[in-house]
Amino acid sequence: MSISKTNAAPVSGVSRRTLLQGMAMLGAAGLLPGRSFAQDMVTIKWWDVFQPLIPLHQKIWDEFAASHPAKVEYTPGNPSDMMQSLQLAFRSNQLPDVFNVPVSGIAAVNALQAAGWFQPLADGFTFDKPFQKEALTEGFTNFGGKPYSFPIFSQRQTATSLWFFKEDIEAADVDPEAGPASWDEARKAALAGTGDGKYGLILPLQFGDRMRAHLIDLAQTAGAAGEIDWRTGDYAHASQPFLDAIEFLMSFQKDGSLHPGSSSVDARQGRARWVAGEAVMFFDGPWNSGVLNGSFADQIDLIGVTGQVPYPVDQASAFNYRGPSGGTFYISAQSQHPDIATQVLQMLTTDDYYVGLAERMDQPPLDLTAVERANVHPTYKKVVSGYQNSVRLAPDPLARNPAISAVYAEMRDVTPGIGEILQGAFSGAFSDAKPILQQYTDSMSRERDRAIEVAKSQGAEVSLDDWVFEGWTPGEDLTDNY
Amino acid sequence: MHQNVLRGAPLAKRMWADRWIYLFLLPTLVLVGAFTIYPVIASIWFSLLDWNGFERAGAFIGLGNYCELIADPLFWNAFKNTIVFLLLAVPLRVGIALVLAIVLNAHFPLVRVFRTAIFLPVVTTAAIVGVVMRYVLDPTGGPLNIALLNSGLLGQPLNFLGTAGLALYSAVGIWVWKWLGITLIYWLAALQTIPRDLYEAAALDGANAWDRFASITLPLLTPFTIIITLITVIEATNVFDLMLTLTGGGPFYATEVIDIFVYRQAFTSNVPRLGYASAAAIFFGLSFIVLASLQLIVLRKVRARRSH
Repeated sequence: MSISKTNAAPVSGVSRRTLLQGMAMLGAAGLLPGRSFAQDMVTIKWWDVFQPLIPLHQKIWDEFAASHPAKVEYTPGNPSDMMQSLQLAFRSNQLPDVFNVPVSGIAAVNALQAAGWFQPLADGFTFDKPFQKEALTEGFTNFGGKPYSFPIFSQRQTATSLWFFKEDIEAADVDPEAGPASWDEARKAALAGTGDGKYGLILPLQFGDRMRAHLIDLAQTAGAAGEIDWRTGDYAHASQPFLDAIEFLMSFQKDGSLHPGSSSVDARQGRARWVAGEAVMFFDGPWNSGVLNGSFADQIDLIGVTGQVPYPVDQASAFNYRGPSGGTFYISAQSQHPDIATQVLQMLTTDDYYVGLAERMDQPPLDLTAVERANVHPTYKKVVSGYQNSVRLAPDPLARNPAISAVYAEMRDVTPGIGEILQGAFSGAFSDAKPILQQYTDSMSRERDRAIEVAKSQGAEVSLDDWVFEGWTPGEDLTDNY
Repeated sequence: MHQNVLRGAPLAKRMWADRWIYLFLLPTLVLVGAFTIYPVIASIWFSLLDWNGFERAGAFIGLGNYCELIADPLFWNAFKNTIVFLLLAVPLRVGIALVLAIVLNAHFPLVRVFRTAIFLPVVTTAAIVGVVMRYVLDPTGGPLNIALLNSGLLGQPLNFLGTAGLALYSAVGIWVWKWLGITLIYWLAALQTIPRDLYEAAALDGANAWDRFASITLPLLTPFTIIITLITVIEATNVFDLMLTLTGGGPFYATEVIDIFVYRQAFTSNVPRLGYASAAAIFFGLSFIVLASLQLIVLRKVRARRSH
């Protein structure tokens, strides 16, 4: 059987020649006007890990696109593998125009800056309200005197408020509005709530960074300045407040009130199991309000939260300390549109933006007063307003001596870290945490010494004295010693 | 004939004569070169660099990474965990699969159902198995703990994955269960090669079941044992997907095998170390080759002594 040419064409009524001519014209039509349109319309590629903020940011990007010949193309990332994606993108010249750096500590940001990942915000950028000016710090957001980034979140925050089911806490004879404020009350409430398949507390032991944050927060309420004792400049991980905080956390396991599944859950899984009623209490940051409101709205009104990180004995001396924070978003050095990227970023500095940010109930906005004006759940308002009383500004050697960035850029991770050591203590890998913590402290000191020597050999004027802040006083903001 | 004509001709002429052979070989050569040879050579070069992955290229430091590696207790912990995993998992998987193959090689009702049931985990993604097993082994509400508690075998639930002394053994058990089916298929295929008449003759001579197994099955399976064990050993050094989703190397590095150590150094550290991670991978690979060579040498000597 064969098909003749005359049979094939009339099926559609279009000859081959006509079809080819039509395709050529369509192609030309697509190329000519479309080409000029594509040249005018700039696309800003934007990667970050702030999925809860997508609706807020999308609204801003749409507004921007409506009044500018530019649009934002957003790609959400997972915090655990975002850095891998960024590394590959950098090496293949495909970094997005705007991105965030989801790593803990400022050392990685300094390493990235040293490797030429960022470019400064364009000259037109303004960030001049008093609380905004305070947030720009050399080595954190500024490099070489130029602003490269800015924080959208307040540095006054912790990850260790104690969230609880009010009914269970009331049954344990603890005020359900205030919650278990002290370590003893928390332990007592956990014990009372344990039974019938329910446990007092669930911890995200598999999430090392979060457990590290919890331990530092708790150690600070027990009297530690933080990972570094600012009066001496020494690492303080093996000091008594840290040991007390570990003992406090371990006491739940000792009492049998710690959910046995803690060892295999991260923060998300731990939160889900806690909300499902498997545990009475869960340590978490202010973003818990946003997550509960979004994913567990029917439970949120059953839940209460402590106004500050639980403390061992004395509320009056229980403070948390936070140093300057790095920027939230950076413009890639590979971006061809820093002016437009800066204009989009500028829209994240307005009063309306801070109110909108507060209403997402994630990390608190840079302007904490926006929370008062925002329509937020009472738990969020309670946690964030508590920060104004209990979180103090800590010193940081980099803020005093920008040359320290060379040391931070050189310092490598020391393992096992604090999170892993906690994990080890709970899993029975060792019975006494003190020698392991001492080993960690010694390793950190050696690594810092090594990094200082390398930085000095490269011409940086740095010394161990940069870590000593004799003027630091517990319970007070340290802002004028930089 | 063609070869005879070209023998002694210049190389270029001979290559041109065989151009079609080279042309058809080209795709394979390109793919093997790009995806096997180049990565190995690149890893060796990376292992000589101090490279944090943020920069386009690292700084050459010679054998610095290797020197640091030798003094790193966590590297040796990962090395030890990998060897322990191998020593436990390989004999278990090969041995249990052999026993099951002998049983399932017989003809009895539902034999195909049993074979399929054992093979099913093989076609399940290892990462999914890791996630699901976290729930199966959960100390509160996990079906395994519930079964053990209800049967009276346990008084308290066991935290299979959260106890440092237990997690690696739990991972071994899961890995053996997951891959048992494929080894079972190897053994079944091997058993099919043994002629039936040997068993019939042995039975006529009065050999019992054990005699038949020890004198016929085992000796004739020896060549297969070597290859099946070799394949299993190689597979046992590639447990990254299962281990990452099951325990992430924890608790406290109790299940951190070399794959996870390399991944942690290269990607999950705040400041990655691509050079150090490459050095760990290369060092382990070389150590493994040395261990395998030593094993071969010893085996040859033993055989030589036996033949004398």
